[in-house]
Amino acid sequence: MNEQTIIGLLVSVIEFGTLLYLAALGEMIAEKSGVLNLGVEGMMAMGGVSAFWVGVETGNPWLALVFAAVVVAIFASIHGVVSVAIGADQVVSGLALTILGLGLAAFLGEDLVFEAPRAAFANFELGPLADIPWLGETIFSMTLVSWLALALGGATWFVLNRTRAGLSLRAVGESAATADAAGTPVVRIRLIAVAIGGALAGMAGAYLTLKLAPGWSELSTAGRGWIAVALVIFGAWRPGRVLVGSVLFGGLLALEPRLQTFRCQPGQEGLCLGFEIDPIIVSMLPYILTIVVLILISIRARHRPSVAPAAIGQVYRREER
Amino acid sequence: MFGYRFIRRERPLPGGQVAAFAAGVLIALLVGAVLLVASGNDPFEAYAKMFDASFGSWRALSTTLTRAVPLGLAGLAVAVAGTMGLWNIGAEGQIIAGAIGAAWIARLGPDLAGPILIPAMLIAAIAGGAILALGPALARARLGVNEIITTLMLNEVAIRVVRYLVNGPWKDPEGQGFPIAPVLPEQSRLPDFFSRANIGVLIAAFVLLIFGYYASRSRWGYELKIAGSSAEAAKYVGVSLKAKILTVLVLSGAIAGLAGGIELTGSADRLVEGVANGWGYAGIIVAALALMRPSGVAAVAVAFGAVQVGGLAIQTLGVPAAISDIIQALILFGALSAAVFSTYKLTRGGLGAAEPTGQDEDARATV
Amino acid sequence: MEANGLAVELAGIWKRFPGVIANAGANLKVRPGTVHALLGENGAGKTTLMNVLAGVYLPDEGTVSLDGVEQHFAKPADAIAAGVGMVHQEFRLIPTFTVSENVVLGSGPPIIAKSTIEDQVAELASRFGLATEPGREVWQLSMGERQRVEILKALWRDARVLILDEPTAVLTPGEAEELGRITAAMAADGRSLIFISHKLDEVTAFCDEATVLRGGKTVAESLPVSELDATRLAELMVGETAEVSQRRTRETDVGSPVLAVEHVVVRDIHDRAIVDDVSLTVASGEIVGIAGVAGNGQRPLADAIAGLIPTESGSVMISGTDVSGTSPRARNMAGLSYVPEDRLGVGLAPRMDVVENSIMRAYRALSKGLLIDRTGASVYGDKLVEDYDVKVGKMEAPVAGLSGGNLQRLLVGRELEVNPAVLVAAQPTRGLDVKGVAAIQQILVRQAAEGVGILLISEDLEELFALSDRLLVMHEGEVVGEFDPDVATRQEVGAAMAGAHKVEET
Repeated sequence: MNEQTIIGLLVSVIEFGTLLYLAALGEMIAEKSGVLNLGVEGMMAMGGVSAFWVGVETGNPWLALVFAAVVVAIFASIHGVVSVAIGADQVVSGLALTILGLGLAAFLGEDLVFEAPRAAFANFELGPLADIPWLGETIFSMTLVSWLALALGGATWFVLNRTRAGLSLRAVGESAATADAAGTPVVRIRLIAVAIGGALAGMAGAYLTLKLAPGWSELSTAGRGWIAVALVIFGAWRPGRVLVGSVLFGGLLALEPRLQTFRCQPGQEGLCLGFEIDPIIVSMLPYILTIVVLILISIRARHRPSVAPAAIGQVYRREER
Repeated sequence: MFGYRFIRRERPLPGGQVAAFAAGVLIALLVGAVLLVASGNDPFEAYAKMFDASFGSWRALSTTLTRAVPLGLAGLAVAVAGTMGLWNIGAEGQIIAGAIGAAWIARLGPDLAGPILIPAMLIAAIAGGAILALGPALARARLGVNEIITTLMLNEVAIRVVRYLVNGPWKDPEGQGFPIAPVLPEQSRLPDFFSRANIGVLIAAFVLLIFGYYASRSRWGYELKIAGSSAEAAKYVGVSLKAKILTVLVLSGAIAGLAGGIELTGSADRLVEGVANGWGYAGIIVAALALMRPSGVAAVAVAFGAVQVGGLAIQTLGVPAAISDIIQALILFGALSAAVFSTYKLTRGGLGAAEPTGQDEDARATV
Repeated sequence: MEANGLAVELAGIWKRFPGVIANAGANLKVRPGTVHALLGENGAGKTTLMNVLAGVYLPDEGTVSLDGVEQHFAKPADAIAAGVGMVHQEFRLIPTFTVSENVVLGSGPPIIAKSTIEDQVAELASRFGLATEPGREVWQLSMGERQRVEILKALWRDARVLILDEPTAVLTPGEAEELGRITAAMAADGRSLIFISHKLDEVTAFCDEATVLRGGKTVAESLPVSELDATRLAELMVGETAEVSQRRTRETDVGSPVLAVEHVVVRDIHDRAIVDDVSLTVASGEIVGIAGVAGNGQRPLADAIAGLIPTESGSVMISGTDVSGTSPRARNMAGLSYVPEDRLGVGLAPRMDVVENSIMRAYRALSKGLLIDRTGASVYGDKLVEDYDVKVGKMEAPVAGLSGGNLQRLLVGRELEVNPAVLVAAQPTRGLDVKGVAAIQQILVRQAAEGVGILLISEDLEELFALSDRLLVMHEGEVVGEFDPDVATRQEVGAAMAGAHKVEET
């Protein structure tokens, strides 16, 4: 394994990490407000197909990104209206959103399947920094979308922890009745959080079809939306830890197809493990790690309040008694 | 919400759930029609063909019922857990685990006689589903770990296990490189029932019937209901919550596993990656629409089976098969929304509206 | 519109819930700079009325005015903006938030710097003499501290009107006194306070005027507290002379002990002894009363006897069988029945129907093999409903729709139908109307006469004096006194409840 393979791997880690971070950040925002949205897979597919279509029509990836964000924010609001405003079960509504999203994306994108991509996010070389060995070809040449994801992560942390709006959003996710009594508009905040979560999942979808795996098919999302759901738990609902998790899980996704190269043939040079790790094990790790983390969270919650937003999954109606 | 709020009705509207389901179907068909027109198809033609393909003949009906089997069993799996307020989101993975178990038996004893092989495969399928559900069940019962996420995660694990098997150790050497397991032995096929349906339909119907009866009549079902209604009351009358969580989730997995087994001994001729085909997820929607009642599960499963069969049939008209997924999801959204209106009524803010208008006097009368 | 000189005026407030009329034309007038008591029995509609003032509920009819200006609150935010703050009985605090985060929630500056906020909250707290730690997370605080956070929340929003819903229920006597000082300081600052209570001593100590509600209506408006005495207040609150409170004829000779509790200790998650070395016995045919201010260990004691929560040490004997450490069911089989404080939830399963709830203690006996005998179950349910006079619409309807009195008759009946040796009844008449109270009390007396030993936990002293053969007082988890209701005075028992001094056998 030589330098080029390693750099190739790192670039792929960044790409998968970006995809996962955008989607997981969105899911985290929704969950922080108390709304579990199991529709990420469907939202990502909707984002992917909308962005790819705009890309084909206009050739402009940024226009495609914005379009996907808007479309999926509206699409996610179906879940918002049904589960928050009307008050149906979040689990069922979210899963239905996934089924609807995958179906609708396949339906709308039928003619796009064999279309060649006409727009893609370009790598952004950050001046002289791009000449630094290793870092230059990886971090300092990544697309602006990756930088945008990082910026959104920072902004999310700031808003949640340092602003009145963020305090209200967290309060709504911890106890809607308390937040309501303090004058916080519960339903409105949750609807907005779900829509923002959708916008971010839409951007993830755009990054998927316009950079990570250019092109569209109904298999594009390949279960990565579920990893985003897992990441929120793995990252204990904190933007920084979700970032770490995104890089880690992104690393596993990047590693999976490359594992064969790790087992060096006799005479081959570079980094060799000398034994085989089956890609299947690596591909399962995100889910298994998430289960482990969830168990640890539950054990810890025996002695103090859980890190999970307490009101997740709960419908709030003011006059219920 | 924006000057409107939900007020609980004195009592739910009679027949609310059936009406809600009908409303959901209507909404789904309307939106589906819009999509069909927009994609240049004639919705009447498409719907007529869907109906014809799913209910138009004995053959059509048999296809629909065959499709309804995994949907109904997955729905029952979810409903059994739902009786206790638990969510088994892992039916998809458990169907796969069941199919793997059944395929494994077929590999072990390819020469066994049918009357031995088929039951052995089905039992292995039941065990497979139960084993996959055991982890989440234990974690929930002993540590209080949320079963929604653990069962969901295990779906992705199960998909990768079957992918590994059909790409690796179980790959069919004569499969021309496709990721498929070898064709199952001929004597592993379930006997025919009528037309294209095999007796898997009868097995599923029997299981649904037994559970419907047992859940409503037995001590076990009664205790389950207590445990689902109030953990404290259960503790007081001596119903062990932990034991109930454990048995219910494992049972739920076993039922989903059986769906995988019937699929493998029935419609499918070999193990493939897509063996669960989304039925596990659809089952959640089926159970939700049936309000977690086994009797309702059967009816909704047949309806969803028809939509799926119809969706495949109109591919010949150039309509993407995805239309059936869209319709299923829309039925749920429509019905969920409509169901709320059978228990709640939407009313204007009335007296306390932030900006009183002239209509307030009228609105008050309806409160 | 101006100049009636009232800080708060509620006129003709009606509020209906499915099956319940909580307010039926209630009125309230509060003058600025005063502490106004809102009195009434449980279920009189006090909390509902205050939720209307705080914008939580929309009234069906009636008007809300502040400083003479009519208000239309569509949501709590509107009431807060108008200067109304409410400290609910169950605190509305977020456990994982710090004190200062809870205080500024919804009305902080757009950008929140932690240290600045904490300084500001600390400054506000010291201005009104409230001891608090702004940086601590609320789940770590005691009940008294949490209440101060609630008051700080209202002060932070500059509430001109502050509603305190039964604020002393969760406080130690020392904390209650401090609360009195704080309310006085706020009134002196020109704010108006509404103090919901049903305890006369607090009202006379802390308040200037009192309004009394009964059955959702105002029966006495703005009486100076100096004109109130216990008899008059009881008359106003209850409405009719409560026949139920007549002393029952005491059993001359009681039987053998059916419940013996020895040195029982229960600790909470903070490792505090909430039941502290309690010993007591109840003999067959005897009613032993336990008095105490809410939250002094009565509830964990009852739960521990029933086996619902674990004890750290000590033993429980039922009819001579040691049941320490056994399951609730083992205790049931030994002869214990329990009517818990939470009727819906612990006692009855809200979403299950009347028959299903009736057979909860008997379904094993009503089973044939694996199946429940449906006919037997429905006969059993019918008999229970008839014997205990439970008014139900349909036997197949969820019990959540029954009224408080009917729920309680169903629950008490279910627990007595299995012929227990001992009945632990926690707050069995709380929140019931006069007729409901009488019905339950008669059942208890009749059962005692038939030889059941009854441990009666209540906050209603009149009830305890009327029914008990012996009266124990709990304070901070300990039994601090035992009284003979025939000779003890209310004052003596009240003093023990307040923890004034430990009293030995009188």
